[in-house]
Amino acid sequence: MKSQNERKRTFLLISIPILLLFFGFNTVPLIRGFIYSFTNFRGYGKYDWVGWRNYIDLFTDTRVGNSYWFTFKLALVATILINIISLIMAIALNSKIRFKSFLRGMYFIPNILGALVVGYIFSYIFTYILPAITHAASMLASQTWAWLAIVIVCAWQSIAMNTLIYISGLQTVPEDVYEAAALDGATGWNRFRYITFPLIMPFFTINMVLCMKNNLMVFDQIMALTRGGPAQSTESISFLIYNNGMNGGQFGFQSANAVIFFIVIVAISVLQLKYLNKKEEQL
Amino acid sequence: MRRLALLLVLCLAGCAWSAPVEIELVQYKPEAFRTFDALAAKFNATHTDIHLTISSPNEPITILKTRFIRENYPDIIGIGGDVNYSNFQDAELLADVSGYPGLAKIKKAYIDIIEGLEFVPTPGTFGVPYMANAAGILYNKDIFTEHGWTIPESWPEFIKLCETIQAAGVRPMYFGFKDTWTTLAPWNALAVDLAPADVCQQVNMGKTTFAKEYRETAEKIIQLLKYAEEGPFAYSYNDACTAFARGESAMFVIGNYAIPQILSVNPNLNIDSFVMPGSDDPNGQTLNSGVDIMFCVMESCPNKEAAYVVLDFLLDPENIQAYVDEQNSVPCQTGEFRLTPMLDGMRKYIDAGKMADYQDHHYPSEMAVDAQIQTYLLHGDIDAFLAKFDTDWVRYNRDIISKLQKYLATH
Amino acid sequence: MAAQEIKATERFNWPVTILLLLGLFTVLFPLYMTVIIAFKQPSEMTNDVIGLLSFPQTWSLDNFREAMRVTDFWRSLFNSFLITAVTVIFSVIIHSLMGYAVARNMNRSKFYRFSYFYIVSGMFVPFAILMMPLVKQTAQLRIDNMFGVIVLYVVFFMPMNVLLYAGYLKNIPIALEEAAHVDGASTWTTYWKIIFPLMWPMHATVAVLTALGTWNDVMTPLVIMSGSGVNTLPLAQLNFQTQFGTNYNLAFASYLLALLPMLIFYLVAQKQIINGVINGAVK
Repeated sequence: MKSQNERKRTFLLISIPILLLFFGFNTVPLIRGFIYSFTNFRGYGKYDWVGWRNYIDLFTDTRVGNSYWFTFKLALVATILINIISLIMAIALNSKIRFKSFLRGMYFIPNILGALVVGYIFSYIFTYILPAITHAASMLASQTWAWLAIVIVCAWQSIAMNTLIYISGLQTVPEDVYEAAALDGATGWNRFRYITFPLIMPFFTINMVLCMKNNLMVFDQIMALTRGGPAQSTESISFLIYNNGMNGGQFGFQSANAVIFFIVIVAISVLQLKYLNKKEEQL
Repeated sequence: MRRLALLLVLCLAGCAWSAPVEIELVQYKPEAFRTFDALAAKFNATHTDIHLTISSPNEPITILKTRFIRENYPDIIGIGGDVNYSNFQDAELLADVSGYPGLAKIKKAYIDIIEGLEFVPTPGTFGVPYMANAAGILYNKDIFTEHGWTIPESWPEFIKLCETIQAAGVRPMYFGFKDTWTTLAPWNALAVDLAPADVCQQVNMGKTTFAKEYRETAEKIIQLLKYAEEGPFAYSYNDACTAFARGESAMFVIGNYAIPQILSVNPNLNIDSFVMPGSDDPNGQTLNSGVDIMFCVMESCPNKEAAYVVLDFLLDPENIQAYVDEQNSVPCQTGEFRLTPMLDGMRKYIDAGKMADYQDHHYPSEMAVDAQIQTYLLHGDIDAFLAKFDTDWVRYNRDIISKLQKYLATH
Repeated sequence: MAAQEIKATERFNWPVTILLLLGLFTVLFPLYMTVIIAFKQPSEMTNDVIGLLSFPQTWSLDNFREAMRVTDFWRSLFNSFLITAVTVIFSVIIHSLMGYAVARNMNRSKFYRFSYFYIVSGMFVPFAILMMPLVKQTAQLRIDNMFGVIVLYVVFFMPMNVLLYAGYLKNIPIALEEAAHVDGASTWTTYWKIIFPLMWPMHATVAVLTALGTWNDVMTPLVIMSGSGVNTLPLAQLNFQTQFGTNYNLAFASYLLALLPMLIFYLVAQKQIINGVINGAVK
């Protein structure tokens, strides 16, 4: 009983200061931003209160609507693609291969390269090299295909990170589980389906959430590749919030956009977490 | 503590002879940092009562905005005559410098340009224009001389020239429309010839519409696509600079600001320029020129007299010439200056003051007019483009419009 | 020793190794372009496939030397290194504690379940809405300096890292600490003696991801420390880009220089991810 109290107290002593820190530097500025969403604030200087106008505008703005459609389409496709490839890569890189450190190091490089490099190199590939091979026009100049080019670059960059998380997940699977499975004759797909995957399910959850989050907030790749073009077909929500809110004079309006966006992704992610957590328990 | 600071400031202001007054200038052209560093060193060597610090940060506008949020204001800022200036002025951050004697030496055309940038006409002048840029058409002099082509004076002549160039197997121009902002270069250059300079203010006052004023500009800009490379929306500004530098096109519709990038690829390129002949009438052409950098004294600057001493120094003809030589700029001050030969073709417009500001300096950046022009050039639907321009304009500018209307009602 | 090696070679999975080596092309090709551009002069840049894929005229290190001079390399590197190292250390300590508190209590306590979702949802706040309020807040608290940047990073990375730690702890059986409790050890001691060492693979993963995020970040130091004259490497790299021109050759040389420390750190951390489990199991 005494030890139970001690345990509770220790956990509270750990979590309360951390929660306060988080509240102070995440929630407090968020609340301030929320307040600005009722103004026509530019970010500095004087401003006026405009009531719900920014929110009403938001729901009638086709540009914002298009950015939601584009962002969700991109995030869904990229998340699925990235998770499938990362899982395969992690299992491959975790198996008994030659040059393990070298291969792991090389495959991690895309994640370290800065946005300027990635943007320039891939623009070059899409503009000059791919058309030379396929004899088709550049994907980046096509309203139909530009989003796919962004999916490819997002995947190229973030597979490394998700692979890393899967690899650390695979470390929690004890070797004897495999040995037992081998005795039962479980190999290949069956071994993965019934043994490995259930065991790394928590990491699948983490990766789905992180990946969804990174792709929903896609920004760097768009700045580097298309800057929202052609014909505004690749404007993501973060791109609008940053470009029009910080660089433009729409800080108040884009704060409203950010608030709505925040609510939408929190809802999605909490649902995702709850669903996947339930799955984890079933397994 | 705060009182002490106040005393210190008062002392700095009042007893300038005892300790040098600190003046901090933040300017927004990082590419000109060497020139400004040299100017600051020269100033400090010749002045003992004032100490000048000039910083030329990267991402200058973000830095300025965040410093404003922190209320950590520099004394003088060097910014461009664009919508940032309009916003800073509207936020009442800038001091009225109409009492500064040096203003009398600035060409009136440039004072008018910055006055025109104010959202709501405000008594007073809030900046000292320093350098201007000029946009239009850069051309490859060697290719032109080789074929004996001449500079066109009117739109029909220009189209004829493009046909001639194309017939000779040369690409007339190269666009980098993947970077949406580059669509504004031909747009502005044509619009200064074809639309009134204060069209935005007139629309705000409800006197006209963009559908009416911009139709001809829109009709003409799309004709240029025939004379450019296939699929210009695939290529970036950088690609276009490289292509022009390598002689892959005879002309490049852009401003003098692109010259350093072009020369970095091919330092030996023989470049000259001419004004975009957008009007059918040879006498109807106007040079597209804006304020590239101006100095604004901040309202919060405690010692305006010291700031004026710094401005006097910067406006000294010798220092202006040094700046012009290093940055290929056009000075805003009256007087005889040596300009880069690459602007020879625009010289007579500059000397005559026959110029108008970039139209996009009046567009709010969040309206993304550049992307709308790109969309129009892709789809070619002129009516949809102009209609959207008018409806979006009202939506993005309604606070300014209502302010202006309030102002007009009382004046 | 020799016998062991032979045995190990026999067990290498060669088909997977070969596939991974072939897949490396997707990384090596863009990397090759980066290296080539870093060695070229601006006048060697052309707009055709052959021109950009060809070797530079001379393999001179001038670009690297110039890039180091322009970015004041050693000083910027030191600042970046300092910020990254301190952020990583604090993140590993604070976030693992929070992850532990949450993971061990969220199934029975509403408070911890709420804390978990509260912190994780902080991940979805678009930075653009926090930026201006944070600039003001850090200035008011007089932490508009490196310290403030580190505090912000510790808060920014908390959601992702708590998610990672909590997920990892799901796979570590609670029986281990219960045994320690029976022996009379406090929760605090148990954590540091048993749980913390067991989490090495996750510490390494968190360290890599956090380090990478801080190492390449431009925005936070730019807005928080603006005007202070303290440069990090990404801030100094902005020198290569102006509105009307970018010196890609110098920029790429500089990016390659900045990539190396991270790559080395990653390779060292990789070893920890593998070794950690063995060490943990032995203890």
